[in-house]
Amino acid sequence: MTTMNMLPLIPEMASDGARHFEALFWYITLTSSAVGIGVYIALLYFCVRYRRGQTTGSTPRILGSVRLELTWTLVPMFVFLTYYAWGAMVYNKAVHPPEDATEIFVIGKQWMWKAQYPNGQRVIIGGNPRNMSESERQSIGKLVLPMNRPVKLTFISEDVIHDFGVPAFRSKIDVIPGRYSQVWYQPTKLGEYHVYCDQYCGTWHSLMVGKIKVVEGKEFDEFLSGYAPLQGTQNAVDGSLAHEGRQLFLKLQCINCHSATPTGKAPVLEGLYGSRVPLKGGGAEIADDAYIIESIRRPRLKVVDGWEAIMPAYDETQVSAEELNAVVAYIRSLRKGTTPDRTERFPAPNGAPTERQQSPQPSGGK
Amino acid sequence: MSASTHSPVLKHHFEDLGQQHACERLGMWMFLATEILFFGGLFGAYTVYRLWYPHEFEFASSHLNRVFATVNTMFLITSSLTMTLAIRSAKLGDKGALVRNLLITAALATAFMVVKGFEYAEDFHEHLVPGPGFSADIGKEASDKGLDPGKVQLFLCFYYVMTGIHGIHIIIGIGCILWLVWEAWRGAIPPENYSTVEVVSLYWHLVDAIWLFLMPLLYLAGAGYGAHH
Amino acid sequence: MSIAVTSHSGPAAAPPPEPPTPPVNYLNVSHTIWSWLFTVDHKRIGILYLVSISIFFVAGGAAAGIVRLNLLQPDGAIVSEDAYNRAFTAHGVLMLFFFLIPAVPAVFGNFFIPMMIGTKDLAFPKLNIASWYVFMIGAVCAVWAVLAGGIDTGWTLYPPYSTRASQSNVIPGVMGAFISGFSSIMTGLNIMVTVHKMRAPGMTWGRLPLFVWALYATSLIQLLATPVVAISLVLIMVERVAGIGIFDPTIGGDPVLFQHLFWFYSHPAVYIMILPGMGVISEVLTCFSRKNIFGYHAIAWSSVGIAVVGFLLWAHHMFVAGISFYAALLFSLLSMLVAVPSAIKVFNWVATLYRGSITYQAPMLFSLGFVVLFIVGGLTGLFLATLGTDIHLHDTYFVVAHFHFVMVGGMVMGYFAALHFWWPKMTGRMYSDWWSRMAAAIIIFGFFITFIPQFVMGYHGMPRRYPNYPAEFQFLNVMSTAGASILGIGYLMPAVYLTLSLFFGKRATANPWSATGLEWQCPSPPVVHNFEHMPLVVVCGPYEYALGVDQLGRGLPEPPGSQDDPAHRDGVTGPAGPMHKETEVVG
Repeated sequence: MTTMNMLPLIPEMASDGARHFEALFWYITLTSSAVGIGVYIALLYFCVRYRRGQTTGSTPRILGSVRLELTWTLVPMFVFLTYYAWGAMVYNKAVHPPEDATEIFVIGKQWMWKAQYPNGQRVIIGGNPRNMSESERQSIGKLVLPMNRPVKLTFISEDVIHDFGVPAFRSKIDVIPGRYSQVWYQPTKLGEYHVYCDQYCGTWHSLMVGKIKVVEGKEFDEFLSGYAPLQGTQNAVDGSLAHEGRQLFLKLQCINCHSATPTGKAPVLEGLYGSRVPLKGGGAEIADDAYIIESIRRPRLKVVDGWEAIMPAYDETQVSAEELNAVVAYIRSLRKGTTPDRTERFPAPNGAPTERQQSPQPSGGK
Repeated sequence: MSASTHSPVLKHHFEDLGQQHACERLGMWMFLATEILFFGGLFGAYTVYRLWYPHEFEFASSHLNRVFATVNTMFLITSSLTMTLAIRSAKLGDKGALVRNLLITAALATAFMVVKGFEYAEDFHEHLVPGPGFSADIGKEASDKGLDPGKVQLFLCFYYVMTGIHGIHIIIGIGCILWLVWEAWRGAIPPENYSTVEVVSLYWHLVDAIWLFLMPLLYLAGAGYGAHH
Repeated sequence: MSIAVTSHSGPAAAPPPEPPTPPVNYLNVSHTIWSWLFTVDHKRIGILYLVSISIFFVAGGAAAGIVRLNLLQPDGAIVSEDAYNRAFTAHGVLMLFFFLIPAVPAVFGNFFIPMMIGTKDLAFPKLNIASWYVFMIGAVCAVWAVLAGGIDTGWTLYPPYSTRASQSNVIPGVMGAFISGFSSIMTGLNIMVTVHKMRAPGMTWGRLPLFVWALYATSLIQLLATPVVAISLVLIMVERVAGIGIFDPTIGGDPVLFQHLFWFYSHPAVYIMILPGMGVISEVLTCFSRKNIFGYHAIAWSSVGIAVVGFLLWAHHMFVAGISFYAALLFSLLSMLVAVPSAIKVFNWVATLYRGSITYQAPMLFSLGFVVLFIVGGLTGLFLATLGTDIHLHDTYFVVAHFHFVMVGGMVMGYFAALHFWWPKMTGRMYSDWWSRMAAAIIIFGFFITFIPQFVMGYHGMPRRYPNYPAEFQFLNVMSTAGASILGIGYLMPAVYLTLSLFFGKRATANPWSATGLEWQCPSPPVVHNFEHMPLVVVCGPYEYALGVDQLGRGLPEPPGSQDDPAHRDGVTGPAGPMHKETEVVG
């Protein structure tokens, strides 16, 4: 039967995480089965040996045994604690991405996954085509990941709670509106793997499925640098994320205050990313993604020392999750002297082309 | 079970009045435990958000009317006193005092609800409501101060849900007290069997105590708001 | 030591022979429909609950049938996605809130707790009937929500889907769950007060039947957890009606907060469902193996332990919902700890069978089924409590299978064990021995075929709540559906033979299983005030099977079909017998 062949004993393992999972999974399976089968054998033996026909009908008055109770309290507890400790180690690896991981933003919405690569390349990884706009339908493809290289995925949802599950990587993370969640993988095997939405999200929940394609690192680099669509996918390219963020920076009037001029009403953002920001009222914070996002959504929370708390909060209706990612990418790319003024006299920063790629579907090369 | 222990107020399935009263009191205490957990969910949620958005919550709280709330607090504390006096009257078998004390309690509770009604009316008038009806002025004031108007509305959600559910409890309490008045009036609360009064008073004190938590959390949270901002 | 159940009027009142036709009992005392609808008799209220939950069990089962049929094909073409989503939600809501939660506490707890502790009624009879009305009002809301188009949120009702996106009847459905929660609180409160204050003289805490201990622990959870879900459901309704609320992410609210509040109830709620079943098993295993329970105190305290620790691990449903790393570590550890008392119970049950004299009537078969299936359910829970494995297994069919092994394999088995064990007492009739054994065997077999494949599917990543799925899962899904149809037949059989027994069954004696519990001292069916002689004085523990019931001067009949000679019970294994050296009282 072909369907039987399609379900091997152990599901495909395509990442380091999957190997860690399997080792732990089989440890628990074997030890707990040993206990379970032991109890079954005892049960069966007692049931046969002490059935009414085999006995006189009289039974001894056995009330219990402290020694036995202690044994079967402490021994299972010890075994369970080994599960716990090993499980915690696997989880620790799974939830803490390495520093050098390539970051990809993924946005969940009813009913599709929209991925944004650092270079602005976008792809919709599955979903229900009936719910999509024409341009979204055009960019349905696969999420391409590099082999043997850590990738960090940052998620947010635009509507309800979703969950990004990749069985081949033994990985899963809820995608929640209003907060970011992260997961990371290091794929170890070329091929294509299922992506499922694992958190019930409405009518087409079961169509919110897609494919991940793991390619050689070199192929991935070419894809990232050349805006080349990958073979077999229809990834659409429309300019880099930082470029898009730059447009938003101007459009949202951020430039009015963060103008990098002596009369600016707000801190200069050039070279901000990764630096240490002293806060009003003491303390300091590293300006990472989380801090920048928080400062846009809730600017009053951590005000930079020496500045007035005058920045308005930008909520989802003003800056969508996707736009926020772009703005963050832009702020990340800002180097000394690259902040544009209102007339855009200054050149755009590196990695943020001033010329927007016009063609929605470039075919090979630039 | 000998028939001599039978009192007209003893229910058939109890051995004696002592057991009956013990059951009634324990039952009410357990019910109060469920009430505490019921409000506990709300208090827990409030705590989380207050820690996340302290400025917005204080700002929103500063827009509530503390005069109404103070008057209402006095009403409720006094009503707890009269409720306790009612137990004493019941114990002494003083029917007139019992009815009088219960009526005063019910009147104070009603006064609380009336004041609450005026307060809600004022809130609506000022568009101090979450959702599309939210006051544009307050929203702008919040934005000017660099606060998120959304979270100001979040506070108002708590305000309405918490005071609303508390109000429902007050109304149920008034019903129970009036039922006691009727029972006392027709002489159904003899001094040897006043546990119904005791049980209702336990409930009433709880409703009162919950208000004593709501008052600081909702009204006093923003009392010092103007001072630091 | 003896189980003496004596009356104050002296030894002359000892062993009353059972009259051939029962006298006035709680069933035939009056016949009008009003005498049932306005009854305050705990036994009649138990019967009202029994009838109601049986209806919801059938309705919930029908919804499961739609789900399983649709999964026969990968493209799920039998019903639309919307209909499927509504069917699994109806299955969850009806089965959990209107069958599993009230099943044992409201039916058997109501009926038997007063008898087991030797009193005439629960502490608050009017509250008791009120709880049934509240339950029915909640049920009408929920059924109306289902019939008027259904709810498509899943029983977990996560916002913002339930508050903003869903186009279905969320409000009446949530209202139904909310209202029925109060009925659960009322029943729990009634049972707790009764157990605290109304035990017969001599019925100390150490002599309570383990069923009472289990229901006491259950009631504790019902009292303390239900209010929290009640407030969360209120907040869901407010948010849906007003379009804004405290879980709304657009104004800074956090939808994950709902999950915390929801699971603070709903995790303990699974213990509301399973603990009573565990109580039943302790009664039945001892009776049919003619043994004292092994480790009475260990079992009793493990029930309380489960109830208490059960409150501290709700967030293990949220390991992938972005909770903090340290919170995950803590909740995983506590989840491991709650597995220990369950393991203790299983070991003690197995040890109880040691050197017993076991017969295999239907209640015993269901109980053994409980133990066998619960072991699988419990051990697979460990995979989900372990952080490293939960990441992959969360929200897959592995969870579905685990949950059903505990809830259906455990609790529904326990429910059927209780039903078959106490049916003669409740109705005064015996059912077909052969058919009931067949039903037990078919149910256990069908259960394995249904749910074992789901573990494999889940391990391979098939998500839950999917009306259609990749083709490689088809074989296992077909197998599961085949098992479900066997299971369905198994569940229908008791409906037939139990109903027939009401009309054609042999009349039951007061104690057809020769059990030691006080409830068997009442006639079958019991008289209106339960006991003919009040008050009882209880002088020893609940499971003195070793001493032999007849030795205690009760002169009770033997179980039907039993081959042993009552005379053998005396003598050698009496209190002074050889068992003394191995008698070791725990705790």
